[in-house]
Amino acid sequence: MAPRNRDDNFMDVDSDSDISLLGDVERRGKGKGKGKAADKRKKDKGKAKAKEQAYTWEASYTRSWDTVQEDEAGSLQGAVEDLMARGRRRRLLAPAAAIRRTIIRHLVLLLDLSAAMMDRDMRPTRFDLMLQYAREFVVEWFDQNPLGQIGVVGMRAGIGERIGEMSGNPQDVLKCLSDRTRLEPTGEPSLQNAIEMARSSMSHLPTHSSREILIIFGSLTTCDPGNIHDTLDACVKNKIRISVVALAAEMKISRDLCDKTGGQFGVAMNEGHFKDILFELVPPPAQRAVARAGGPGANPAADLMMMGFPTRLPDSSPPSLCACHSDMKTEGFLCPRCMAKVCDVPTDCDICGLMIVSSPHLARSYHHLFPVKPYETVTSMEGESETTPACHACARIFSTSASTAAASEGISLWGRYRCPDCHNDFCTECDVFVHDVIHCCPGCGK
Amino acid sequence: MEKASHLSVIIDLSPTQWHLSAQTSNQYPLSIETFLSQLLAFLNAHIASKHENSLVIFGALPGKSVLLYSSTELLSDDVPSLDANSYLPFKLVDSAVVQRIMNEFDAIGELEEEPPCALVGAVTKALCYINRITHPSSTTAGVAEDPSIVHDPRILILSVSPDLSSSYIPIMNAIFSAQKLALTIDVCKVYGPDTVFLQQAAHLTNGSYIYLERRDALLQYLIMSFLSPTSIRKILAVPKQDKIDFRAACFCHKNIVDIGFVCSVCLSSTHYLLLSCDLAVFCQPLPVCSTCRLATLVP
Amino acid sequence: MPVQSLKNTDVIVPQHAPHPLLPFLQSQSQTTLTRLYQRPSSCLSIFRLLGPIERQLIMNLLWLESALSAATMSAWVLPEGKNAYDSALTVMTGLHIAPNSAVKLALNPTFKSGLRQAITGGGNTGSFGVPTDKDAKRQSANIENLDAYALERWETILHYMVSSGQGQNPTKPSQGVLYLLQRSGLMNNVHGAALQITSSGFQFLLHSPHDQLWNLLLQYLHMAEERQMDLVEVLSFLFMLSTMDLGREYSTEPLSETQKAMLEDLRDYGLVWQRKTSSKRFSPTRLATTLTSSSPPLPSSHSTGGSRMADGTGAVALSSGAAQQGFIVLETNYRIYAYTDNPLQTAVLNLFITMKYRFPNLVVGMLTRESVRKALGNGISADQIISYLTTHAHPQMRKNNPLLPVTVQDQIRLWELERNRLKSAEGYLYKDFASQADYEYVLAYAKQLDVVLWENMAKRCFFGTLDGHANVRGFIERRTGSV
Repeated sequence: MAPRNRDDNFMDVDSDSDISLLGDVERRGKGKGKGKAADKRKKDKGKAKAKEQAYTWEASYTRSWDTVQEDEAGSLQGAVEDLMARGRRRRLLAPAAAIRRTIIRHLVLLLDLSAAMMDRDMRPTRFDLMLQYAREFVVEWFDQNPLGQIGVVGMRAGIGERIGEMSGNPQDVLKCLSDRTRLEPTGEPSLQNAIEMARSSMSHLPTHSSREILIIFGSLTTCDPGNIHDTLDACVKNKIRISVVALAAEMKISRDLCDKTGGQFGVAMNEGHFKDILFELVPPPAQRAVARAGGPGANPAADLMMMGFPTRLPDSSPPSLCACHSDMKTEGFLCPRCMAKVCDVPTDCDICGLMIVSSPHLARSYHHLFPVKPYETVTSMEGESETTPACHACARIFSTSASTAAASEGISLWGRYRCPDCHNDFCTECDVFVHDVIHCCPGCGK
Repeated sequence: MEKASHLSVIIDLSPTQWHLSAQTSNQYPLSIETFLSQLLAFLNAHIASKHENSLVIFGALPGKSVLLYSSTELLSDDVPSLDANSYLPFKLVDSAVVQRIMNEFDAIGELEEEPPCALVGAVTKALCYINRITHPSSTTAGVAEDPSIVHDPRILILSVSPDLSSSYIPIMNAIFSAQKLALTIDVCKVYGPDTVFLQQAAHLTNGSYIYLERRDALLQYLIMSFLSPTSIRKILAVPKQDKIDFRAACFCHKNIVDIGFVCSVCLSSTHYLLLSCDLAVFCQPLPVCSTCRLATLVP
Repeated sequence: MPVQSLKNTDVIVPQHAPHPLLPFLQSQSQTTLTRLYQRPSSCLSIFRLLGPIERQLIMNLLWLESALSAATMSAWVLPEGKNAYDSALTVMTGLHIAPNSAVKLALNPTFKSGLRQAITGGGNTGSFGVPTDKDAKRQSANIENLDAYALERWETILHYMVSSGQGQNPTKPSQGVLYLLQRSGLMNNVHGAALQITSSGFQFLLHSPHDQLWNLLLQYLHMAEERQMDLVEVLSFLFMLSTMDLGREYSTEPLSETQKAMLEDLRDYGLVWQRKTSSKRFSPTRLATTLTSSSPPLPSSHSTGGSRMADGTGAVALSSGAAQQGFIVLETNYRIYAYTDNPLQTAVLNLFITMKYRFPNLVVGMLTRESVRKALGNGISADQIISYLTTHAHPQMRKNNPLLPVTVQDQIRLWELERNRLKSAEGYLYKDFASQADYEYVLAYAKQLDVVLWENMAKRCFFGTLDGHANVRGFIERRTGSV
């Protein structure tokens, strides 16, 4: 696995969120089990760091300059270009094999609200930091998983406590995370109770959606009424994936939960790392595809879901009663099958049960499905009979002479990157922009 | 202080559609020549509004998209000779646009079958261009454009061709990129049927979609609806399309459907979504998902 | 707390302050303006000087043949924009661009045809300047030379002003400029000796170059009226300059006598360049070609060569000379580091800071109570100092939010407030009331009129404003009369 080794090399540099310049798209490329390897490495690094720095508050000041190095002239230009090149290389190394993803996701966020969360080893406290990151996580998660739903459960005083029902609306979830006083930590946590509660809230879900539990765990103990391994087996049976972000230390049971269910486990070393490992869980979890050779019938769970794409009624239309709340409203969406009026999408039609989504909602996930091919680096201008003078996308004029920077893999000295399909040249910025934002090559138009 | 605004114009230059548009059997025939002369007046009005306003024009031609004019760099050296009766920047735009369009049309020649217009290419180029001017990078040689000038970027699409359902996904991707860049996409449908995708583009980016009813009043439509920058639109309203079609294109026949079947395998495991057509309209739900090649269970 | 309220007003300041030229134009007669509108370049320039709403309204009306009913237009106005819309209409009426009518909206026909012509080109007014053919023998001035020339002229003027109070002898600008400075009240000669900068002159120095330029030009226009020059000719020449292309030569042939005379003045200000005074051709400089662009809020890097779009930033970049970007770093401890070697900038800074060290490219100073009070004494206001520091802040400072340290901003304002401890008002003191009842009765009446500035119950006297005096006196007389 040569590519992975190189991947590891630059992962070292990239363990802090401060410097992840170039989108986290490729992180998704990591296969199952990879997280484990990465964690080990990070832990090793953590130990090394522990020797160097005596106090946690020094941590945030000691890393940023490790990653950049000045060239002879004292300029950072080279370092910046190098970072960009790394981004490019990462993309090139992203696995080309089919990856199975889950697009309709259901996630229960299990928050540790035990007394251990009042520890101040992460500033201001573990609890405040967790709330802050959880809010950011929810926003980011909904951005990338527009069809998903999130529920929130807390672990406090030995019981599981439902904080927010499963909801597809980020605002609802954020609202239940916003009230700090309502979530004040106290008592011992109970993993089993909380997982059971999360499991029951996901039991009714259809087979095509993923079920995930994300536990943010600060305590080193759990006080359970029964055998937690039974709960674990039940989760495996129900195909619930459990991921744990531990704030204190690794517990055997947490590790087991993740390993057995195919989730990721991570121990946060500091604030930045906490955020990193939390946000690694934002992109849809990937699984290596069942070998395609299996062909039709390989996956018995395949079925077609009927979805309706509604028409939005203008604000000026005559008011009528909506099917969901029986309120008089002017605006709304019409179910394409039964013409009932609903207030918001996505939802299930209350009359005919059709799943109503607005097509832009679905489309937001498409770029996962049709990625743009990586551009090739133009390394030599020889043998180019006819070259375009400017970037095909933004019309920036290419420099005519090669840059003097040291050649490294993935960087074109001419600043040109070529689409393998339409053979047009693009500049560095457009290359990054096309692959990270637009997901559509301006030359080929797809 | 009032900020300068940037306008990217995308002109749909499908020869067939423009030929149809010029037919006298239409209620308001509009030939490309009249269209261009009115459009140029509108573009000049944009430049006239503010000294710093910038303008880029892309043309979507059959099978390719070209940059017709850019106010940041002069494409050709042949600056037209000055005359005392016209303002130089206006003249530059006018001559550059007309000349390049004519060149491109000549180059097309007689084709058996006209490939569809590369609207997607033009839109993505416009996005790249806006990305470039709003996020000047430090790595470019020389002095980059001033970052403190925040342009208020807009894209105006002048469309004559009908929806091209194969471009559904790239258009959608472009819309989301536009949302990320916080820019507005305006659409003026000059000829042909309403396009669902562009309606969605305008709606999702908070722009306005206008179906040109009185095509003899093109210039007035353009000025009233598309000249004002976003800050002014909070004071002087611009017409908006109210009823929005949120339909999608199916993957199998590229039909635009209002009820589709989505392959849950794709949703749960593979790369692809399958939208097959509505039962009543076209085909049965496919026995095999055309994209992930897995068997599907008909609901 | 006053400081707080000052800060708040900063935020509320209307986004689009009207251009300084507009009030001047509004004061002109309809015939003058109509004559001005005959030239397409003037229409275009005036159009650019207007606010964004006015511009959109004009454009909406420009291509309509018949008048639009006012109701139709106001239907497009959103409720929250009603005030802005009304004031825009007032501006347009004031400029006689749209006739004052509550029912119909239409453009002044002269203006309409002028602007139409500007946008579509054509006509034979020649209002955009007649370019000369390339002269093979003599090389025409290139853009760098023009910029250098304009910069040199402009800085000479400013430098003369700033150093006049310090007994130095900088290069004197020409007599015309000196006269203009004196006329505009920016400088005056007190004892018949050398010119001294006035308090409005100090304020002038802290304005953005764009404002400074228009300030002087406005004075020039006022002066032109007195010199019996034809105002239409003067204005249209300025507008013509503003629409010309930088780096090109234009012929003086089609200019009228007035305009030829103006050439000389404008050369002194650095707006146009001529090889010789008798030359038959002239080139506008960046100062002239950016007249109608709004000055960007912040100084910026020099525009890239050949970039038309960035031309507008030129005027500001120009004046900051060597340091084309912001150059001032202000710390919370009131220290100022100014990366500049420009004597003018140093001199301007010297107006309100105490210099500590001078290096070849760096000036270090402190904002102290004395230095700021000196500036305040010169008539510079705290807001001007703050806005100067803001506009010229170093790019590194721009990362801060707020840009300037709040403590320093507040302290500068507090220093200003110190000066405003006494407030004078003219008025009358009412005293020696016969009885307490009398006093209270009159006082109550005066309070009703809201004219009482100060009262002292024990001494039985109060102080009323000037304009309330007649009423109060009448009241007292009526009362004594009736008794």
